Amino acid sequence: MTELIKTPRTGETLPVKAGKRTNPLANVFDELVRFAQSRSLFMLHYCTGCGAIELPPSMTSRFDMERLGIQPMVSPRQADILLVTGYVSVKTLKRIILTYEQMGSPKYVIGICSCTVNGGMYWQSYATAKKLNDYMPVDIYIAGCMPRPEAVIAGLRELMENIRQGKADSWKDYYRHYDHYLGHQQRLFGETWQTPTDVIAEARHYGLFGPDTLGTHTALLEQHQRPLEALEMKVDIPELMARR
Amino acid sequence: MIELILMPLAAFVIGLAMVLMMRRIGARLQRRVGPPLLQPLWDIIKLHGKETQTSHGLIHELGIVMAIGGFVAAVTLMPLPGMNGLAEQGGLIALVYMMMIPSLGLALGVGQCANPNGSIGISRALTAMLAYDIPMVIVVFGVAFFYGSTSLVQIIDAQQAGGFATWGIAEMPLLAFAGLFAMQAMLGKQPFEIYVAPAEIATGPMVEMGGKFLGGLFIMQCFQLYAAGALYTLLFLGGGENWLTFLIKVFAVVAIPMSIAFLFPRYRTEDVVRLVWKWPAMIGLLGIAFLMY
Amino acid sequence: MTSLDHLVLVSALTLALMLLFGRMRIAGRLAVVLYAVQFLLLMQTGALLGEPVASSLTLSVLDLQMHWRYDALSWFFAMITIGAGFFCAWYAAGVWQERYREEGHSPRLFHVALAANVLTMLILLGSGDLLSLFIGWELVSWASFLLMAVGGGPAGRAALRYLVYAFSGGMAILAGLMLIYTQTGSLDYARVLSLLGELSDGQVWLLLLLIGGGFAVKMGLLPFHLWQAAAYAETPGPGSSFLGAISARMGLYALIMLLVAMLGIGRLTAMEVPFTFLSARDLIAWIAALTVIIPTYIALQQHDARYLLAWHGIGQGGYMLLGLMVGNAVGSAGGLFHVFTYGITQAALLMAVFAVVHRTGTADLNKLGGLVARMPLTFLVLLFGIISLAGLPPMAGFVSKWMVYRSLVAEGMPLLFVAAVVGTLGTILSVYKLIHNIFLGQLRIEHEQVREAPLSMLLPMLGLSTLIFLVGVTPGPALSWVAAVQASLGLPPVPYTLGGIEDPRGGLDMLWLVGILMAGFGVGALIFFGLGGRSKRVHQLDNYAGGHFLTADVRYQYSDNFYAGLMHLIGPWYRGAFLWLEKALTATVAFLSAVMNGFYRYAQPALFVLATAVALLALTTA
Repeated sequence: MTELIKTPRTGETLPVKAGKRTNPLANVFDELVRFAQSRSLFMLHYCTGCGAIELPPSMTSRFDMERLGIQPMVSPRQADILLVTGYVSVKTLKRIILTYEQMGSPKYVIGICSCTVNGGMYWQSYATAKKLNDYMPVDIYIAGCMPRPEAVIAGLRELMENIRQGKADSWKDYYRHYDHYLGHQQRLFGETWQTPTDVIAEARHYGLFGPDTLGTHTALLEQHQRPLEALEMKVDIPELMARR
Repeated sequence: MIELILMPLAAFVIGLAMVLMMRRIGARLQRRVGPPLLQPLWDIIKLHGKETQTSHGLIHELGIVMAIGGFVAAVTLMPLPGMNGLAEQGGLIALVYMMMIPSLGLALGVGQCANPNGSIGISRALTAMLAYDIPMVIVVFGVAFFYGSTSLVQIIDAQQAGGFATWGIAEMPLLAFAGLFAMQAMLGKQPFEIYVAPAEIATGPMVEMGGKFLGGLFIMQCFQLYAAGALYTLLFLGGGENWLTFLIKVFAVVAIPMSIAFLFPRYRTEDVVRLVWKWPAMIGLLGIAFLMY
Repeated sequence: MTSLDHLVLVSALTLALMLLFGRMRIAGRLAVVLYAVQFLLLMQTGALLGEPVASSLTLSVLDLQMHWRYDALSWFFAMITIGAGFFCAWYAAGVWQERYREEGHSPRLFHVALAANVLTMLILLGSGDLLSLFIGWELVSWASFLLMAVGGGPAGRAALRYLVYAFSGGMAILAGLMLIYTQTGSLDYARVLSLLGELSDGQVWLLLLLIGGGFAVKMGLLPFHLWQAAAYAETPGPGSSFLGAISARMGLYALIMLLVAMLGIGRLTAMEVPFTFLSARDLIAWIAALTVIIPTYIALQQHDARYLLAWHGIGQGGYMLLGLMVGNAVGSAGGLFHVFTYGITQAALLMAVFAVVHRTGTADLNKLGGLVARMPLTFLVLLFGIISLAGLPPMAGFVSKWMVYRSLVAEGMPLLFVAAVVGTLGTILSVYKLIHNIFLGQLRIEHEQVREAPLSMLLPMLGLSTLIFLVGVTPGPALSWVAAVQASLGLPPVPYTLGGIEDPRGGLDMLWLVGILMAGFGVGALIFFGLGGRSKRVHQLDNYAGGHFLTADVRYQYSDNFYAGLMHLIGPWYRGAFLWLEKALTATVAFLSAVMNGFYRYAQPALFVLATAVALLALTTA
């Protein structure tokens, strides 16, 4: 099963040197950007199970998440938080990983309900992924079956505080320990598992490459990987090419 | 020359406040507290500050640039109190067409995303444009014809000459109503929110927009709200004698469609077209008939 | 020999050389040079600003003098004609011609057809009296038929359909000319002009119906528009560009001669349509407005890029006539200017579409997509073209359309204004569909290896795009030609400046507008690239699909029935009434001919001839 040593925990600063931020503003106004990030969270609620029912009350008039700057969004590209609200079946997990990889960093994962922590009442199920943080870094778990909206909001507030202090950077861990996460994914989905997002190329592009990004599992991936390079715009005029 | 820098800046700040107002009105109508004061700004900073961003190619990026740039240019054609900008060089018709440039840029950018949700969104947005632009140009024609000019400066001067009695809304109430109706559709607010439709086509044009792409669209939304409010104020509410009255008018104008929006679900595409071609267009034509005869 | 003689002779020489050497590889380049020479010779005639230039050739048929001369109007149209010929010949001169030959067609025939078109149009534009106008008209009709028919297959059928329309139009014009001749005893412009005022309103209506109707066929005005789209779209690439850019405008030229130069807007305004509150001018303006709307919305339904543009070509003709019918300085200038801006726009657009056809082999909008990654320069040409065609700043088409709108506002014509804008909105919708379905969206697997258009085709396209942009930014020089044309037609000349229109009640200055637009784009780029984080380009299959894994073998593209929601509403409004009318007419004629045939065969032929002779005698004496 999981080697717990390798799974990161929230709040733990990672022993990797902080790379340059890709945003030119973020280098200068680091505090401001972090504050804005903590005050404006778009969430994508991946409603896999019963925990989803607690989200509408936390968004609407009783508890009103929007006063904290949190609002629901529709597509993974727009979202900052991935809320996984309940048990994760193997089939669902593929979609969750696809969705997670399509989100723009910094991105945060919140596991709601006991099922995401340890499988909960589905512990004995053959078709359920037990621990979400085997497959992707999870920032906050909100345990409970199901957690009340107060608990959800408390969890979100803790995440906000972590973001403001710069501690919520587990998304970097996905790039730096990609081999680890990919290994768990391959264990569940088989060796031919591949998502449309090229995580390794992204890690290279943004300077998020770590010592554990590549490993035995990524080597396995590369054996069968379909190419994922972007369609670059080519000005390919035959006459000019011939002359060159 | 300094006006040309100040006008887009003012438009952006006012637009930010309008976005806040829109979200606050929505929250109040739903008995919520709503977002804090600087929420629109935090959203934009956060989106631009994203560490990894997904681009689908050069046109995707240039589309957003066009969307922001087109509005930055368009707002300089709308005179503010004490600032005329380029209103003398452009005029009303040029302004209406200038405001289509951002939509074109957005449409191109969305097209490159290769996501059918986005393409459907654009097809609906253009259909909505076909719907609301007809009452809109009827209104524009009526105002330009009534004041005998397409220059916004002259239109405002004529309105301010005799106080409220010479305001467009007092002289041409039918056109003013048609304009308000068209503005609701122009802002894409419920019940005309066909092209965002989050539950159906996953926010349509915005589906593949994340990070600075979405941030650019948030900036564009600020300009769009401002442009709609300011245009209506210039055409019907006598423009701004001074900044205070201008701001009151502009915010009041935008508050009306916002308040209506949160009370409605949305229509289907063809029903939007049918509705907008029937009521505001007919009322607008009636208004012109009153002006001409 | 006058400078006009030189021009026509060189044009005839072009035709002769193409006949002789058209088979050779050099023919295309030779044609380009010859068209350039023609252009220079046209510039030297000085017909625009100076006195009209007469040709030294005059013919005498019966007692009628035929002569040719160039005035500012002829110069303006000839300039566009030769320019279009030049760019289209350039487009055809290189790789296109070779491919055309490989496909088993004859480049010689194509070059000859193009040269014949230019020559006949130059002759038509120089006509100095109604007889030479008619002869030029027929020559142009036959030359267009030749160019349309060279493609064979569906092109041949479309060309034959055109021929039927052109023949009927020609016969109507001939009847109108006979009417004029019997009334005035001459076909000379000056004589006719002086005597035209004495005609009764009924006679003028008849003239309008016969001659105007005949000319309207060529222009594709409602209800004579059905032939045009297929005929223009099926013509081989550069030929289609040429026809689209200028051919139909010959009809406009002749209509300007009839409506503006001979009858005058004043006379048209004075003539009431019986039992209505419309004048003849309103009627023609409404025909123009309907010509804008109906073909534009038919274009919206097309899924073949060539047909889509060809239908738009018909619609854009309506704007020109509409502007001219408004008749004030800005409106008529807008109508005339639109001939030029539309000409360069349509030529560039069709060239871009045919470049795509050249590379991918299809113009079907449902079978393309995502080509911007492979043909970015062609995309740019198409983008400039569609912005101009839709009439958005900062391209040339915006200026001419703005002038038409401005004049409609100034003259207080709300319904026509709304009609014009409805046409523009329809144009925006369908040109977005055009660029989206070809260049945006998902690239198909079979187009992964597509390359950019060949240089010989790309250069004229880029040249035209540059022209579209430059004319949009500084319309002044082109407007100076338009003002000269207006002066020669007796219309009030437009008060133009370098950047646009001078008008105390709301003018236009494109220099400022484009400047602020570019500055705006600069600010936008600064915010986007300067303040935004770094981005990474991703593969097109890395896309939101509600959690679905996309694969290359399943298409993820929205292109067919692009405006489905709109079509739910307006779809049933497409009744095909004109097609129905055309079919009914064809069936009636076929039936009548069968009856006559039967009558001739089974009755006594001698009796038939006698009956016909008696009927004719009775008609002529009565």
